Amino acid sequence: MRVTMSTMYNSIQGNLQSLAGDLQRINASIASGKKYQSISDNPVDVGAILALSTENSQTVQYERNLTTAKSWLSMTESTLQDISNIVQASMALANQMATGTYNASQRQAAAQQIQGYLEEVMQVGNTELNGQHILAGYRTDAPPFTEGDWQVQPAVMHLTSGSSGTAASGGTYTGTTSCTYLVEMVSGGGTGVGTYRVSTDGGQSWTAPAVIPAGPINLGNGVQVTLGGTWNAGDRFSIPVYRPINYQGDTNNFEIAIGTTNRLVINQVGNAAVGGDQGANDLFQILAQLKSSLEANDPGDVGASLEKLRSYQAHITSIMAGLGASLDRVGMKENVYGALKDELTQQISDRGDTDLVAAVNLLNTKENAYQAALLSSSKVMGMSLMDYL
Amino acid sequence: MSGITAILDNAARALMAQQLGVEVTGHNIANVNTPGYCRQSVNYVTAYPEPSPWGPLGRGVAVDGIERAFDPFITARLNDKSSLLSDYQTRSSALEQVATYFNETQDGGINEVLSQYFAAWQDLADNPSGAGERQALLNQGLNLADAFNSRADQLVQERLNLLQQISPTINEINSHSANIARLTQQIVETESSGQAANDLRDQQQLEIAKLSDLIGVKTYTTGDGTISVTLSNGLPLVQGVLSFNLSSQLSATDTVAVTWEGPSGHNETIDTSTLSGGKLAALIQTRDQTIPEYQQELDQLAKALIVEVNNQHSQGVGLQLFSQTKGTYQVSDPTASLATSLPLGDQIVNGSLQIYIDRDGVPQAAGTIAIDPSFSLNDVVNSINSDPVLGGYLTASVDGNSLKIVANAATDTFGFGADSSHALTALGVNTFFTGDKAYTLGVNAWVLDNPDLVAAGRCDATGAHAVGDNRNALALAALENAPVGPSGLTFSDAYQRLVTNLGLEAQDAKNQETFYQGLVSQLSQMRDSVSGVNLDEELTNLVKFQRSYQAAAKLISTADELYQTLLETKK
Repeated sequence: MRVTMSTMYNSIQGNLQSLAGDLQRINASIASGKKYQSISDNPVDVGAILALSTENSQTVQYERNLTTAKSWLSMTESTLQDISNIVQASMALANQMATGTYNASQRQAAAQQIQGYLEEVMQVGNTELNGQHILAGYRTDAPPFTEGDWQVQPAVMHLTSGSSGTAASGGTYTGTTSCTYLVEMVSGGGTGVGTYRVSTDGGQSWTAPAVIPAGPINLGNGVQVTLGGTWNAGDRFSIPVYRPINYQGDTNNFEIAIGTTNRLVINQVGNAAVGGDQGANDLFQILAQLKSSLEANDPGDVGASLEKLRSYQAHITSIMAGLGASLDRVGMKENVYGALKDELTQQISDRGDTDLVAAVNLLNTKENAYQAALLSSSKVMGMSLMDYL
Repeated sequence: MSGITAILDNAARALMAQQLGVEVTGHNIANVNTPGYCRQSVNYVTAYPEPSPWGPLGRGVAVDGIERAFDPFITARLNDKSSLLSDYQTRSSALEQVATYFNETQDGGINEVLSQYFAAWQDLADNPSGAGERQALLNQGLNLADAFNSRADQLVQERLNLLQQISPTINEINSHSANIARLTQQIVETESSGQAANDLRDQQQLEIAKLSDLIGVKTYTTGDGTISVTLSNGLPLVQGVLSFNLSSQLSATDTVAVTWEGPSGHNETIDTSTLSGGKLAALIQTRDQTIPEYQQELDQLAKALIVEVNNQHSQGVGLQLFSQTKGTYQVSDPTASLATSLPLGDQIVNGSLQIYIDRDGVPQAAGTIAIDPSFSLNDVVNSINSDPVLGGYLTASVDGNSLKIVANAATDTFGFGADSSHALTALGVNTFFTGDKAYTLGVNAWVLDNPDLVAAGRCDATGAHAVGDNRNALALAALENAPVGPSGLTFSDAYQRLVTNLGLEAQDAKNQETFYQGLVSQLSQMRDSVSGVNLDEELTNLVKFQRSYQAAAKLISTADELYQTLLETKK
């Protein structure tokens, strides 16, 4: 084949251009640390890297969610632990006071202690995490447990056998501290016949006996009771007056995402875990009743409250076991995501990052090729018949 | 008749012939770098012999003509491949340009912003009352909107850029056609005397080669030696000494229409999809087919994002409710059905939505508004205003062709929820995003102005809502992994598919370009091996002709000596 000047010079130019292009690409991949500079360099790998990056950023996000989960669950756990400790102390106290060896004034003192516990449970139950009340369901902006208005509670009756006495408590309390009115029948009989006396210190001191009137009896500070039926001497009943504690939150579970399809409840709803809803496991009510029983100097009722405290203790223990399980799950997920993140980072790097050793090697190879091309080109270009004519 | 005179004649012809050889060699050397130049050579023949008693006696050399070394078949193939090369070159460079807008190998791509946007919803779900999380979410929303807007804008710019190249390309095509016709005329005139117009033919071939780069053509040499150039669909650009122009216009559907302006005002529209090869086909097809496909995919993705996010967002309430609000979409006609008069009207289905009224922050009332796609905006306004529950609390109206709702009392606020009709999405009420395609995607000004309106929570059936409610935020965050985008893919999968397709198409164009580059350079070498000039070869020829010239001169001196010898015998 004839070789012409344009063939020769075009091929020299073409080859040098192509080598220069290679050098530029290798240089860019070394300088940027990225294997591909444009999506057309390797569309399949770039697509795979995108998918891996999306997965990676989700994994990082789930890890963040797990951090939130952990702080909520731990905070809830420690809150419930504090409450559980108070319940233990209350049980110990109730256990002592349920025996007959204590007198009325000692029980009055114990009642004050229980009042202190009650307030502490409320305070602990209103715990905040980053300004959010964690036991309030979705209503995290307000304390879940608040004291209600003074309430005159229904009478707690202790009738001797054969008595048909009834006591309907009522009225509006005007006092400032909680107390329990103890009423005892001095002599039996119905309205206008029977006589009663009243004590506000657990029976240490009594009012003078009075005949049962037809209408309501004023027990003091606005508390009233209306007696009915036929009483026996020795019948007693007590009327506790206290401010019940109400739950202000809602019953929603706060969930967060810990996986593409997994959600985890990270709160405990206050009325179920602590109380305030006058249900079976309402710790506030149990403690209030215990306190009233102590004020009324009634070891039997104290014993009944102790039973309720035991049952509540079992309730809160099972809730805390659930929290522990959730925390375990969070820990496990954290490990899984940690490992996954490492794996994804590795894969992204394998596919997308420049292998420096290979790239530098390649650069050297191309550099040599370029030098060689320059050398041979200059030799070819230098040759001409003109030099010899 | 033989004789010394005949020897002189012979020598004189040889001198002239060898001198011509030197001249032609000089022409070759001078044109070593001229594009399209074909090496020329003198066609030597023996002169017509003279009858003599001893048989025909040779009378030396005669020049039959000057020939050019030209292979029409290789040249035709070269033009054909150059045409395809130029096609793929243009495509590749346009696609590479588009690919840089979607260059996800660098930071800040849509894929990354999309992940960050949904991560921001996760963060808000972790802390639904957090002001920081709300602001971060809005910023991510703006970033995402920006990312889509700029990509859409760049695609439009790229189409504009291509369009601006089309008209000059057509002008060039027309000027090359005219040149070919003009050269044909000159060739016919020159060659009428029976001599080859070598240099004019070279110029004509060069014009054809240049034309082939711009548009795919076929050439035919007719019986009388003229050339016809036709498009791939058979319409002639050059026919003998006539040339026909092309012109381009933008059609009503924003595509480029190319018209062939035939003889005597006979115009014909060329189906641009039948054009193959050449820069023009690549420009038009990239502008009108390739890029619109990606625009459409991007728009579909943006629309799916707007619809899905807004469908979910409009189900919820923020930390605050509205004291008034206005839809972000305008109906074309308040009396026409919503389905046809709203940009996203096709999303509306038969259903209902709830409106909850708060008084001083406490749930006061809740009402249900039934929605049918055939309702007009006026119907919706009426059904809100005449609702037995809501009518007293709210006043709905048409404001600038959008739905506006205002609470009647300063103490009242209202929220939305349980929208099974997707009317809120279509009206743009209680939504997160605005717009209906990639270019118009934006964040709703209501939430932007008041981050507390970002709907992380929901109203219960009674209208109760709480600041710690994250149900809606969780549902929105879950959209990231839901098969909601076009073709039932997740948003990021759909986007990744778009990027991979674009990358593959750009890569394919680049590979084709490389392939045809190789082919063209091979064919060029073949063409050059026939037509190209080699200086060493010409120098050799130069020496050859010089020596022959010297030899012929020597013949003259020999004849002279013969004369002298003869004349001396007479002294």
